[in-house]
Amino acid sequence: MKLNTDGTKPLYVQISQWLETEILSGNIQKDEKIYSQYQLAEMFNINPATAAKGLNILADEGILYKRRGLGMFVSPRAKEKILKKRKNDTLRQLVWELVTESEHLGVEEEELFKMIREVKEEGRDDK
Amino acid sequence: MSIIECRDLTKNFGKIRALNNLSFNIEENTITGLVGRNGAGKSTLLKIMAGYLQKTEGEIKVWGEDPFNNLQVSANMIFIDDNMPMPQTLSLIEILEWGSKFYKNWDMDIARGLLDYFSLAPGHFHSHLSRGLKSTFNVIVGIAARCPLTLLDEPTTGMDAAVRKDFYRALLKDYLKHPRTIIVSSHLLNEIQDILEEVLLIREGAKYLHMSISDLKEYGIGLLGKKEILEKIIEGEEVFHREELGKDTYYYVIRNTLKDQKVQEIKLAGVEIKPVTAEDLCVYLTAGKKGGIDSVFNGK
Repeated sequence: MKLNTDGTKPLYVQISQWLETEILSGNIQKDEKIYSQYQLAEMFNINPATAAKGLNILADEGILYKRRGLGMFVSPRAKEKILKKRKNDTLRQLVWELVTESEHLGVEEEELFKMIREVKEEGRDDK
Repeated sequence: MSIIECRDLTKNFGKIRALNNLSFNIEENTITGLVGRNGAGKSTLLKIMAGYLQKTEGEIKVWGEDPFNNLQVSANMIFIDDNMPMPQTLSLIEILEWGSKFYKNWDMDIARGLLDYFSLAPGHFHSHLSRGLKSTFNVIVGIAARCPLTLLDEPTTGMDAAVRKDFYRALLKDYLKHPRTIIVSSHLLNEIQDILEEVLLIREGAKYLHMSISDLKEYGIGLLGKKEILEKIIEGEEVFHREELGKDTYYYVIRNTLKDQKVQEIKLAGVEIKPVTAEDLCVYLTAGKKGGIDSVFNGK
């Protein structure tokens, strides 16, 4: 991954999201040791304190757990927690934007639902 | 642990006050960016830390001791800037070999490796190098010395973009392997910010702010929109910058204390919210009060 340095998203957030994606895709399994702050610093060319901040977000959310002197590991229920979080935060935010925009345009609820169904249909056809 | 402690540090050059009641601590094994406008006092501060200059008033402690005329501090510290006096009669490789006699942690392999990587001929003389190559050689000395306190004053002056990028990476890699306290002053905050942990911003010789780089990046927020809407929003907020962009459209940078709720409201009112980079923010925070360069040409 290449970090986006235009300032729209803090580096440590990008690090934590990259780690989440690595866990979701199965590149790092449960109870497996995750990258250390120093490995991440070297990989992404960032200060190790920034990398630690990214790791700590995930530890605070219970996606990673600490083992004294050994580093951080992936929690057994990490995938579940990430999916739940993304649903509650990311998806909710997108829905908020969707609803706001449709209100601006005067699109009725039923029409919006219809559009969602249509997009889903198209998605199915593509597969 | 703090290895540098400054309390009300003041430095006068004759009638001119270069540093004014500066107080801060630098923690061990961190990389700190020292930022400020030309003449803000960055070099003076670094030279006092290095023990090259004597303070006028206040207190400065490096490893608990006054750095001026102090053997303990000089033996564990290196100060790199573009006025470093280098021996005229020694070739580059000879200077590096002498370095190993001066600095106990000196890594000759890294020194040779970097010299070769940056295509500096070992037999050349320092006085024959171009400005950019001189800077490159000086930072090689700065990295290879591995001093517990490494002070770099505008180390990238004259370097091309590729060399600057390589230098920052080299500095970070060597720091990861051999943690030490690094303070680097630079105008180019955008380039160096990723490897920093802390930023110390000084303005007219006084501390303006000292915080982690990640906090600094979220310290300000840009609002772009219609004048009358914005003027309501910014009431009671700390405004860092105001710019007129076309008719009725304004760009404000304010302290980022807005709650999520308010952010949503602002967006609904049609105001664009923009992130403010650390570099831009530092420019706004240290801007003069004279109304910008335009005022010179407008004859105001």
